[in-house]
Amino acid sequence: MAAKEHSPPRIAIIGNPNVGKSTLFNYLTGLNQKIGNYPGVTVDKKTGTLQIEGEQFEILDLPGTYSLFPNSEDEIIAHRVLNNPELEKRPDYVLMVIDSTQLSRGLFLATQLIDLGVNLTILLNMADLATAKNIEIRSYELFKQLGVPILQTDARNQKGLEQIKELIHQRNFAKAPQFVDILKVVPPSILDLVKEKFELENHYQAYQMIRFGAKDKSISEEKRSWLAQVLEENKFNLEEVQLEETKIRYKKITDLVTKALTKKSAPKAKSSLDKVVLHPFFGYLVFIGVLLLIFQTLFSWASYPMDWIDGFFADVSGGILATFPDGPLTRLLAEGVVPGIGGVVIFIPQIALLFGFLAILEDTGYMSRVVFLLDRWMRPFGLHGKSIVPLVSGVACAIPGVMAARNISNWKEKMITILVTPLMSCSARLPVYIILIGLSVPNEQVFGFINLQALALLSLYVLGVLGVLGTAFLLKVILKTDEKSFLMTELPSYRIPRWKDVGITMFEKSKTFVFEAGKVILAISIVLWVLASYGPPTTMEEIRRQGTAQQEQALSPEQVALIEAETNSLLLENSFIGIMGRAIEPAIQPLGYDWKIGIALITSFAAREVFISTIATIYSIGGDLKDDLTIREKLAAQVNANTGEKTFTPATSYSLLVFYVFAMQCMSTLAVVKRETKGWKWPIIQTVYMSALAYLMAFITFQIFS
Amino acid sequence: MTADQLILNQSGRIVEITSSPLKINLMELGFLPGKQLTLQHKAPSGGPLAFQLEETLLALRKNEAALIRIELIS
Repeated sequence: MAAKEHSPPRIAIIGNPNVGKSTLFNYLTGLNQKIGNYPGVTVDKKTGTLQIEGEQFEILDLPGTYSLFPNSEDEIIAHRVLNNPELEKRPDYVLMVIDSTQLSRGLFLATQLIDLGVNLTILLNMADLATAKNIEIRSYELFKQLGVPILQTDARNQKGLEQIKELIHQRNFAKAPQFVDILKVVPPSILDLVKEKFELENHYQAYQMIRFGAKDKSISEEKRSWLAQVLEENKFNLEEVQLEETKIRYKKITDLVTKALTKKSAPKAKSSLDKVVLHPFFGYLVFIGVLLLIFQTLFSWASYPMDWIDGFFADVSGGILATFPDGPLTRLLAEGVVPGIGGVVIFIPQIALLFGFLAILEDTGYMSRVVFLLDRWMRPFGLHGKSIVPLVSGVACAIPGVMAARNISNWKEKMITILVTPLMSCSARLPVYIILIGLSVPNEQVFGFINLQALALLSLYVLGVLGVLGTAFLLKVILKTDEKSFLMTELPSYRIPRWKDVGITMFEKSKTFVFEAGKVILAISIVLWVLASYGPPTTMEEIRRQGTAQQEQALSPEQVALIEAETNSLLLENSFIGIMGRAIEPAIQPLGYDWKIGIALITSFAAREVFISTIATIYSIGGDLKDDLTIREKLAAQVNANTGEKTFTPATSYSLLVFYVFAMQCMSTLAVVKRETKGWKWPIIQTVYMSALAYLMAFITFQIFS
Repeated sequence: MTADQLILNQSGRIVEITSSPLKINLMELGFLPGKQLTLQHKAPSGGPLAFQLEETLLALRKNEAALIRIELIS
């Protein structure tokens, strides 16, 4: 570790998955948490601060891992933090959390840390579970054998937590003597070379560098190729060496555990809950029940707070317009900025609720059971059992879904999940579907009981799912990765969820979304607003002047409203977006659209439901937009200027419907994909492929029906 | 035989893990020669298998379980 302590001192928490690391982190830092980035990977960096008697400490929560072998991005992060060649970047102290009922497995990672030479303390967590399972650990014996401080805790029931603070405050950590002599496995010649080149402290650090060097892109190209060359020359076989190390390490751990642990219980019987939950038939019924509950929550319960938020921001906009003198700045504020912020905040209920559910499912141990049941059905499409959560959430909203994809550790499976989730028909598509179906599908029964409109709606959802599966399958063939896909997961014991942790998760996820994706959403919505509100000044001025003149001559309030609606329509048609709409007309004509629809396609890139309000403006439909019938009647009467036929023929409507099934048309999804993949590459690829797919499918649809 | 060939509630003792890129992952999870495992649950249609290994219930895909060579405990 670094020779001199940082100020404030840095403490990293590490441990296997499901050992109560997050509970401990939440306990120590409360809401003083910050989520940041590690360069080059999609794993989040979670840090927080802790105050003890006026002294400040910085806590870093490392991703859960079983070993320091380079299996996934998570482990690369653990390696990069703990074994950084720049010594001053390493943490000063490390807290290793072990599940007391899984002592050997925990010690596997702990002894690797010891060999790395970190300043370590071990927490034997979940003491309650161990007692329940009749496991007794003599921690003093462990301390004697390992040489690092050991503390027994029960983070869930708040036992031993005060002592952890005490221990941090007193810097009660120790560097222990080597547990496994790596020189018995790897020839010293190579280790000495690497140790010198990277200026490392001991042979295990050098060995660790060999292990990760090629995969860690934070290491310079020169050093990586040097490393590759040394290994090549020495005919170094990493796999063999790791296996040898594992054998020796586990052998020593087994001896140690025999001395330090007594178990009085008989072999564990099958959990009676699992008999139902993992049942080949009833298990799926339970799962469908849980899905329906989540679905119900996201779809209908979330709509109440969403309506409040919507109403609140509309009031604020109205208030600004009424209070301040009319002018570009007031309009920017009331029509650009405030609705833009509202468009970010509106997603909080769905995000918070989905992550609340996920935290509960994860915490109770149910989520891994879902993965167990679903994995078989997702794999043919290059997806993982864990992909089911993002996909299901996508039916309500793709945004929390994309955010939930981070639980998938395999890079390829995670990317496929993120890329296809927005193809599920989300709730924002519903208003578009309903208007267009109402316009083009007769409200009749077939076979006496099936409503044609309902059938059409169902087909659109099915089409979305087919899009997901087809695209996922293609991506499975296209995307390349060295990372191997594996399931190998623990099905942890059932537990009562910790409500405080659930609350913190909901808060943190909402905060991350607002501050990270929110910036992009706000920026795009302001740009779109400017494009839709401004145009060539002389034209716009002329339209406004004529509108005012006509209004002055109007005879009744109804006429004033009519003139105003027509003026607004003209303004939009001549704005920059209007000009863009005309410009893309040749491109969208084969899909059966005119330039007016083109304008709506551009504005609804902000969010799909904007299609309705734009169409209403363009066709100067005043009055209440909630009244579907007015919009529908007006639209049905529209005539295409080019062909002289009706604008919304069935073929055009079907084509539009299909377009909205596949098109990206959601800047918030774009922003959240950028945030989750840490760059613009994937959101751009995604927008391009979805738009191309939408174009192609809409084209085919129009050609078939026209 | 290999672990994926067990029938429900049958137990076996691990003889060795077949060489494969996944071998190290299996070992770090605790699938080590000499340990005893019991097949507890099977997902339908060739889906994952859940094994009780000492105190833990662990889920493996079929091809992952096939890497674990065992001898049957009757």
